[in-house]
Amino acid sequence: MEFKHCDILLDSLDNGYIILDDNFIVTYWNKWLCINTQISQEQIMGKSLKEFYPDLNYTVLQRKIKTALSLKTPSFYDPNSNTKFISINRNKVTTSSLTLMQQQVIISPYLINEKKVIISIYDISELHETKLLIQQKNDKVTELNEALEADKEIINQNIMIMRTLANGVIIDVSMLFCDFFEYEKQNIIGKSASILKIDESSKCLYEELQNIIINKEPWSGELEIKTSSDKSKWVEARISPIFDEENNLIEFNTIYYDITNKKLLEELYITDALTKLYNRAYFDEILSSITKNQRKADINFALILTDIDHFKSINDNYGHQVGDEALKAVAQTLKKALRENDVIARWGGEEFVVMLKNVTVKEAQMIAEKLRSVVENEKINDLLTCTCSFGISMYIASEKIDDTFKRADDALYEAKRSGRNKVMTKL
Amino acid sequence: MKAIELNEDQIDALKEFMNVSIGAATSNVAELLDAFATMHIPKIVICNSDELIAVIQSEVDPKSKYYVIKQLFSGKFGGECMFVMKNSSAKNLGNYLYHIDNPSQDDINDAVIELTNILSSTLISRLTKELGVQVQFFVPSAQIVNSEDIIYAEDIQHYSKIIIISTVLEFKDQNIDGNIYILTKDEAINSLIELIDNKLEELYS
Amino acid sequence: MKILVVDDSSLARKILIKELKKIEPSAQILEAENGAIAVEMFKNEKPAAVFLDLTMPVMDGYEALEHIMSLDPYAQVIIVSADIQPEARKKVLQIGAKNMCPKPINSEKMESIFMHDLII
Repeated sequence: MEFKHCDILLDSLDNGYIILDDNFIVTYWNKWLCINTQISQEQIMGKSLKEFYPDLNYTVLQRKIKTALSLKTPSFYDPNSNTKFISINRNKVTTSSLTLMQQQVIISPYLINEKKVIISIYDISELHETKLLIQQKNDKVTELNEALEADKEIINQNIMIMRTLANGVIIDVSMLFCDFFEYEKQNIIGKSASILKIDESSKCLYEELQNIIINKEPWSGELEIKTSSDKSKWVEARISPIFDEENNLIEFNTIYYDITNKKLLEELYITDALTKLYNRAYFDEILSSITKNQRKADINFALILTDIDHFKSINDNYGHQVGDEALKAVAQTLKKALRENDVIARWGGEEFVVMLKNVTVKEAQMIAEKLRSVVENEKINDLLTCTCSFGISMYIASEKIDDTFKRADDALYEAKRSGRNKVMTKL
Repeated sequence: MKAIELNEDQIDALKEFMNVSIGAATSNVAELLDAFATMHIPKIVICNSDELIAVIQSEVDPKSKYYVIKQLFSGKFGGECMFVMKNSSAKNLGNYLYHIDNPSQDDINDAVIELTNILSSTLISRLTKELGVQVQFFVPSAQIVNSEDIIYAEDIQHYSKIIIISTVLEFKDQNIDGNIYILTKDEAINSLIELIDNKLEELYS
Repeated sequence: MKILVVDDSSLARKILIKELKKIEPSAQILEAENGAIAVEMFKNEKPAAVFLDLTMPVMDGYEALEHIMSLDPYAQVIIVSADIQPEARKKVLQIGAKNMCPKPINSEKMESIFMHDLII
């Protein structure tokens, strides 16, 4: 009668229970197992488990039974194992990584004298699924981390980056940065970013940095920077300010691209090989940009065409080499006498063109007169002096640039005709 | 909480007591696995939980992978039994228990779990029997990790003062060895000390 | 009569001595805490019997037993150990121990040892 109670108890529980002796004879098989394995009590009780599950490792099972009985304490199967104690199908229809029930199997001593154990089988599939899922995600994270590390290494080797604090102290630089600017990483970290020798003409950068901070937007531009061994390099820099959650500036992140070669090509492209002034093509480009845009600040300019007087006779008397020297000398003399913003180019042969920005006629005439005078007083190769004639015109808003040139040319012709070494204006 | 400390007599007594328990555990393992084990003198350390890592790290080879099997036991004398075994040892154990040359990961896991279970249940049962308290064992869990990951600082933050009872289990013929750690804390340590004091008193009366 | 008790644990020695004294109150007890000291004492003191532990630092019981047996093939050594594996027992009896008892030793066992194993 008491045994009956135990049966009812075991049948009421939502786990699998087998009572088994050390010869694997099943003496109880609860209802949960009947339903899940579709093996009834009548079929299995009194028979060996081996008849129904011939593939189990019975050496291991026997050892576990022996352990439980002799130690009087439970023994266990590894709950994470892929090999199941008793295969039970899982009927989860929605996505599942487990088609068989994952089980936690505990072999507990039951009637020690009769060498009987009770085997409890718990369904831990849901738990195991979660575990597998976490494992998968973990693997994914590891994989991503590795990819990230690899990317970081690629960046380190192929991109020039400098990170500085808001006060300009360098906190990190990439490997390529060090190679390019010829610094040792450990020597540059902790120093001020001003250790980078930025060319005078790029110095306005520091003022612009203030604007970055105010506008909270990145700045980019071209800079000429000297390496630690004083080699001149051109870089395009993009400086991004980095803010914390409270919008305080904390860092600058600067990425540099080497544009030294591009710069050299550009210079070649716009420079007259002999005189080192701009060439005609570049001057045209500047003018067409100004006339196209018609910006008020730009259109108020004067054109000066100038021509070396009697240049042909210099060539004839002293040879072409001296002629070239004279061209170079006049070019440099003119350039030195101009203001920084004025643009001078070689127009062809012994002819030059100058654009004076933001001038009145009177001022243009004064500058041209100054040019005339400096050329006249310059001795070339301690050998000869020469003079130039000048023709001035003023650009009239919206007119064709050819018309401006036409007037300048006319004025130059006038200067030549009236005896050379003169400045003439045609409005 | 008062500071837990053991005097020399108490440590000696605990060592001897554990020695006898380990003898029983070793014998059980040897019998069930049909192998002969060389017994080693147990080590007893009472330390702060953060020192556990150093104790364990001092006994492992930093270049090896390890199987770490942890089994919890609950009741008035509750704690954790940890068995740390080199990868190669675990393979040999799997090999030996399953009689196959290349045991699968599952075979190895099951073998190390089985070994841990036999060891910890004998050791702890023996202790709890002496203490007159009941004990419940939980399913051991096995993990394979790098030596530096055997134990993380955050794993043991719940333990304030811990007692580490450790010994080496060694089956020379089968090339299997491992370190066993019984970790228990506060209340359990106090009941252990009480037990030792009673034993000592009995002896000197 | 001298009896040598060898164990690294002072508690284990005390338990043993307590039991010894019950049977042989007049015995002069010598104590050693490892195998090496035990072998030296055995040489110098020539005790009538030795109670020897197996797991000890410096020199373990197996090695000490071998030394003692080579010093005196008739030495009467009883192994008292926590190691209760049949293999261990076989090993020490082979080397020449008179008997081996599991720890902790009690009065009953001690009596049996004096009755059956030792000739004193």
